[in-house]
Formats: sequence, structure tokens, C-alpha cells
Amino acid sequence: MNFPREAARAITLTQRMRRHTRTRRSKTQSSMLPPALQAIADSVIEAKLPNGMRVRLLPSDAVPTCSYYTFFRVGGRNERPGTTGISHLFEHMMFNGAKKYGPGQFDRVLESSGGTSNAYTSNDVTVYYEDFMSEALEQVIDLESDRMATLQVTPKMLESERRVVLEERRLRVDNEISGLMDEELSSLLFKAHPYRWPVIGWAKDIENITREDCLAFFQTYYAPNNATLYLAGDFDPSEALALIRKYYRGIRAGPAAPSVIDSEPEHKGERRAEVRHPAQAPSLMIAWRGPPAGHPDCLVLDVLQYALAVGQSSRITRSLVYEQELAVSASVDWTWRFDPGAFTVALELKPEGDPQKAEAALYAELQKVAEQGLEPRELKKAQNNLAAHLLRELATNNGRAHSLGTYELMLGDWRQGLALPSRYESITKEQVQATAAQYLTPERRAVVTLVPLSEVGT
Amino acid sequence: MNRGHEVLKLRPLKLPHHQTGHLKNGLTVHLVPRGPLPLVAVRLVIRSGSAFDPPGRLGVGDFAARLFRRGAAGLSADQISESVDFVGANISGFANEESVIVSLSTPAQHFEPMLEMMSRLVLEPDFPQSEVELSRRRTLAALTNDLDDPGSLADRALVRSTWGTHPYGHEVLCGKKDVLAFTQEDLKYFHRERLGPRISHLFVVGAFDSKRVMPAIERTFGGWKGGPAEPGAIPSWGGLARPGEVLIVDKPEQTQVQLRIAGRGVPRGHADHFPLVTMNCVLGGGFTSRLVTEVRVKRGLSYGADSSFDMLSVAGTFTISSFTRTESINQLIDVVLGEVKKMREGGPKKAELATVQRYISGLYPGRLETNEAVSGAIADVVHYGLNDSWISDYRERIAAVTVREAAKAAEDHLFGLERGIVLVGNAKAIRSKVERYGPVTVWRPSELE
Repeated sequence: MNFPREAARAITLTQRMRRHTRTRRSKTQSSMLPPALQAIADSVIEAKLPNGMRVRLLPSDAVPTCSYYTFFRVGGRNERPGTTGISHLFEHMMFNGAKKYGPGQFDRVLESSGGTSNAYTSNDVTVYYEDFMSEALEQVIDLESDRMATLQVTPKMLESERRVVLEERRLRVDNEISGLMDEELSSLLFKAHPYRWPVIGWAKDIENITREDCLAFFQTYYAPNNATLYLAGDFDPSEALALIRKYYRGIRAGPAAPSVIDSEPEHKGERRAEVRHPAQAPSLMIAWRGPPAGHPDCLVLDVLQYALAVGQSSRITRSLVYEQELAVSASVDWTWRFDPGAFTVALELKPEGDPQKAEAALYAELQKVAEQGLEPRELKKAQNNLAAHLLRELATNNGRAHSLGTYELMLGDWRQGLALPSRYESITKEQVQATAAQYLTPERRAVVTLVPLSEVGT
Repeated sequence: MNRGHEVLKLRPLKLPHHQTGHLKNGLTVHLVPRGPLPLVAVRLVIRSGSAFDPPGRLGVGDFAARLFRRGAAGLSADQISESVDFVGANISGFANEESVIVSLSTPAQHFEPMLEMMSRLVLEPDFPQSEVELSRRRTLAALTNDLDDPGSLADRALVRSTWGTHPYGHEVLCGKKDVLAFTQEDLKYFHRERLGPRISHLFVVGAFDSKRVMPAIERTFGGWKGGPAEPGAIPSWGGLARPGEVLIVDKPEQTQVQLRIAGRGVPRGHADHFPLVTMNCVLGGGFTSRLVTEVRVKRGLSYGADSSFDMLSVAGTFTISSFTRTESINQLIDVVLGEVKKMREGGPKKAELATVQRYISGLYPGRLETNEAVSGAIADVVHYGLNDSWISDYRERIAAVTVREAAKAAEDHLFGLERGIVLVGNAKAIRSKVERYGPVTVWRPSELE
């Protein structure tokens, strides 16, 4: 679950850098790309600043705007018990003042320059972006580099932002059933890995994070060598790069961020939990640990996700929602993560729905895939949809910067993202069968059931 | 950084070329060829939305439009879904207050067969009885499950308490009673009598073959006949149904209260549109709006607060939304009402206005980036009787608004005492606290089913 700073907006970053930077226009290495993707690949300009910050430029003059994305490799995964939620709280603090642009100035200056910003924090990354009119590019670079270099954490702003985040937590978790269930599911599926706590953090931890915690966090994770910058839109690439160098030059590289140990023990047997809460209807969330991002099985699970739950003709939608009417909706969330993450099925039931029946019907569908794989046409359908999904992601400046940046962080190279359709094409029904059989087994699952409180008479 | 005195210079907006034509049956066609990605978006707008649903059958148009995909021209739901899903396309139908909208998004190489499929769904829906019953059961369950979502409960209570019996109050899913009453004949009647080419516009945007596109549209939609000769009229609106009142939807388990405050707004295309939009942006539009500053930044009362004008053909509303922990509800309402009063009485400052003018103008082109967005923008222009310059000059017209015009718009259009307050939360904990804002009525969530 990602926690945006505000529904539907975003932010960016900055850093100082030193001396030489190398740039290169990307060469089309994979000759197999379709023309539209090839054109995007050919347009990308890459640079690495001496302080380690990676820069990617994606020029396009379709509309006179730009999107500026800064990705930091830090999220819930890098936290510890006692200060859970610090990544997300810190994301909020990034808007509360640096040396040149003080409290309240970031958004004020940006908006008055014709731009808007937002940010989100996930288990693995913290991502800031700005969308703005092209004329504001230098202003945006100035704002982002200012806060990467000199963020100020004042006690007053920290207290105010802490209250905002606690209110956000009440909104998304305490007063939202899917939030409650998701929180329960993560701590059931993961015993040792930091994925077990919610990205927004436990309420007591949010209440107790100190200014010193924030400053140490900033030093460690917001150094330029932990950041990747994507700029997409209507700009002159050489001017843009010169500006980025100028503003980020002075930001020094930091030490490498501490590595995260994945101590997750082997999952030996089904785990179950209940959430009892006032509700109209029961619902279910069931998860299995998948492979880490970059593992070939990730792509097979992408195909499986689409075959199971994307579109009215997908397997569990057709079977559980339309044919057997055991669920009102069925969805699969399979988000790649740095370490093995969750493949999650969510079933929303009718008010009088029977969770046991719905669960059994789901397992029967999974069993079929594990035994027989997919029909050739079903496999092709998933491949077609994954390819169309990528095209739609690439239709806007914001989408290009966000998706290619995410692919680079997750797969090591944005080219891997553009090559995904051809990699999906090569997946066979046997692979889908084997992958379903390997990962989605009864003894590896975690199941959370929502028991509506009216039912248990409380 | 005060740019208030500078003239706002804008890079030209490359507007896609927009061609209009008519089929013999009266269907108006709008073509916008556009690359570079091999994708096409199609949007069919039929002026027959929920405002025209008859009493006792409210929501019938939306219910019917969603069933188009569940059986048409002898094809079963599975056959339709299979062929649409297979190529990575989407087709969906739904209704809003004024229109029934069917949209298609498809990879360009599958444009013609998908357009063909879309036309069959629109022209020849079968409404199979089994699918009608299935959809009814799913809709009823969804209506009930929605009662668990405080935000959507607040929005539904707001529609009812704002529009009352006006046709805009025909919330798309108005209630269990009507959904239980729909018959297959109701759906067929709706399709036969309320939909037709003469009240419809088809927008095709994207990487289509310009030589083949019109013949393809003729072939697929040329045979569409019948329906109304012209769109129905929507009566004018007398104003808020429950002015000055406070409505609480009781959710005893909530630790947070959802807040909506609504007043009368303006119809789309109103002479004060541009001053209103800029003024509203200062009040509750951007991330540095007065509401966000006062509610979130200065007081930490909430994660969000915003205000918006919702503008339809004959009337509109102005709404503020926020939420806060139960204990802080008075503080939140007082801050919000105080900000509205301050804006109504004093208008925006020059620097504030300059900021939002750049903000709105700078981001406007981003609303024209995808084929779907372009088709939506042009469809709105056509629907509300505006013209293409509404889009091409939008940024300049925002930039031209003066402080005086914005202040006048605030004075003329922001509510005073004639406003309705909707709260979703623990009634026992908040009732006595909010009586000072007006007579209080408490609803159970099930009254919104």
C-alpha cells in the first residue's frame, strides 16, 4: 500500500554534486522493441553525477509541461521497530522547509510558478514528483536541490506534521476496513522482514519519532547516491542537464545505506487471523510470499495476476463473481518489491456471503491453474493486456517518468521495462502452471477474514 | 516570489485538429487524429442521463448501460468479455446526471473490430434475464457494502440533502427500492425510447487510419435508428433542499468525522466561470490554498481540505470537503466557515490570485495528454454548448481575471447562512456539539441504501 501525501499530487528532490558527469544518449540495445517503444528508448538521455545521483531525461514536446521525479531507495523496509512510519512521516517533512525556501515556501513557490507536487512512500521507495509548466524547470530544480541539500526539521513543523499523519492513519487504517485487514495480513505473512509493519507506521511509533531520528534518517537515506532523477516533457535536454549539474553539484555523496537483512523464515503451514469490526459484509484477504523484483518468476506472476483477476473474463472474476456469485468483487495485488513481497487476493463478499465457500472456490481455481496451467488463448490475452497496460502508462509525461523510474529501481535498468512485453510473450503455460504450483500453496498462505461485528452480536 | 505584476507568457498549446461530421441518421462524429502511441479512445455521449430517469425507476439508465457488456447481438457476456479483454481493450458504459456514456480504449491495431463490438453493445443489447438478475443482486450488495465507507456515505447524503427532488438528485444508484423494481422491459424501453443517434455525439481520438475511419463508423453506427429527436429539458433548480440544516449520518464506531458543507453554485459556462475558478483555487484548490493552510498546515486538524464548484447544464453546487478526529469537529467547521466568510467579504489578495493563475494555467495542458482526456475535454465543450476556444484560450482567460472580478465572484456566489452541513460520524459524540450550526437531523446509514 502506498501512502501519498495528498490524494492525487506529488513532489521532487535535489542534491549537490561535484565535478564531472558523464552523459550518453541511450543506444537501442534490444532490437526487438516495437516502434513506439523504440522511439521512447531512443529519446532517453542518461547521466550520472559525480556525487552518484543518476539522471534520466525523456524529452517530448507533446504538451508544454514537464514531470520531475525523484526516487529515493528508502521505505518501510529500511525501518526498525519503535520508529516505524518514519519514511512516510519524513516524506511529509520534505515539504516543510529547507535553507533557501523555508516553511510553507516549497508549495507556495512551486504553485506560483505553475506547478504542483506530491509524493508517496511504499515498502521499498519514497518518490517525489512535480508536474509544472515548462518555464518553471529551473525553479523546480532549485526547490528540489535546496531540500535535498539543506532540509530543516524544526520541532514545531514536526509536531504539526505528526498530527496530520496520525489523521491520515485514522482515515486509511482505523476507519477503513481494507486498511485494517491489510495491516493484519502483512504482520501475519511476514514474521521477520520489515514488510510486516505498515508503511504508515504504528500509531505509537508515529507519536514518538524524534527530531533526531528524522535528522539521522535524512543523512542516511537522502544522499544523492541513493537518488534517481527522471525528467520527462517539453525541455531542452542540454540546458536541463546543465541546470541539474549546477544545482546539485554541491551536494555530497553519503555513505552507502545499510543493507536490509531478509531473515524471513520458511513459511510452514497456513496462518489465519480475524478482524472483528462493524461492517455490512464479510471479506477476505489471502496472501502468499512471491519472488523478489527482478526474479524471472515475477513476470510469470504478472501473467497469472492478469489471467486470474483483470477483466470480466478473468478466471476468478468470472467464476467467483459472475458464475458462483460468491463475491461482489475479486482482485489480485501483486506489486514487485525489492525483497520477496506479497501476492494478495482480496474478495469482497455480499452481506450474507459465506467466507468459507468463497475461500474454497478460490482455492479450487488456483488448484486448476497449478495442475493445468492456462489455456493458450488465456495466456495470450494476459500478454496482450500487459503490453497495452505498458503503452497506457507511457501516454503522459508523468507516466513515462514514473514507470521508467520504477522499472529502473526494481529491475536495475529502465530498458528492462520497455522490454517487458517481449519477455511476457516468451512465457509458456507450463511456466505459469509451475509457478502457481510453487508459490500459491495451502501451506504458504496467510488468510485474514473480516467478521462483521453485527454478526457476532457485539 | 511575487510575479503578480508580470504578464503571464505561455508556450502555445498544440491543439489536436478536431473535425466534425454527421451521419445520415443524425449521429454527430468528432475525429481527432493523434499519436504517437498506437492507441485509440472512443467516447459515445448520449444525452439521456439519470436526470431523465422516471420516478420509481431511478438509476435505470446506469443499470442498463452497465448491462450492455453482459449480452448483445446474440453474444453472451463471456463471449463479449473474451473478445474485448483478449486484445487489451476496455469497453464500459455508465450514466451520469445528464448523459449515458459508452467508452472504448483499444490498441490501434484492433480499432475496427473493437468499434464494431462497441456498436453492437450500444445498438443491440439483449438484457438477458439471467444477467439482469445477477446484476441486480450485485448492485444491491454493493449498495449495502458502500455503507461501510464514510466518505461515500457523506457524498451520498450530500446529494440528497442538496438537490432534494430536483432531477440532479437522482443519484445514479438511488436506492434499493428502485433497483428491486427494474424489469427487463424497463431496460428495453430505456434503450428503445431514450437512446438514439440524434441526441448523441461520437468522439474518436488517437492513432486511427484517417482514410478508413469514417467508413468504419458508417458501417458500425450508420444503422442506429430511433430514440428522441432532441435532448430532454432539465428544469431549473430552486436551491438547497435543506438550507441551514445539519445532517448527521450515524456511524458509532467512527473515531473520525467526515464533513461536507454545500451551497448553491453556478451552471457550466456561467459568465463568472473564470473568476470563480481562480477564486476557488485560492480558497480550496491547490496545496497552498487557504483551507489547506488553515486546516492542515497551521492546525494539523486534517490530512486534507478542499473546495470545488460542480457545474452542470442548468445548475451547480459549491462544496467543501474535509474530515477530522471526533474531538476536533467544531474547530474544523469553525475554521472552514470562517475562511468562506473571509473570502466572501474580502476576496483574494493580488499575490494569491497571481499564484493560482500560474498554477491553473501551468497545469492545464496536462489535462490534454491522453486520448481519453482529449475526448473528455472536447465532449464537455460540445455538451455544454461551449466552443473549441474554451480549450484553446482557457489559460489566457484564467490569466486575465482581475482581483476585483474574483472578489465580486466570491461575494456573489459563496454561501452565507444558506448552506447545508453533512457529517458522518458518531452521532452521540457530536450531536450536541453541532446544534449551534442549525437544526440537526440524524440518519441511520441504512436510510441511504
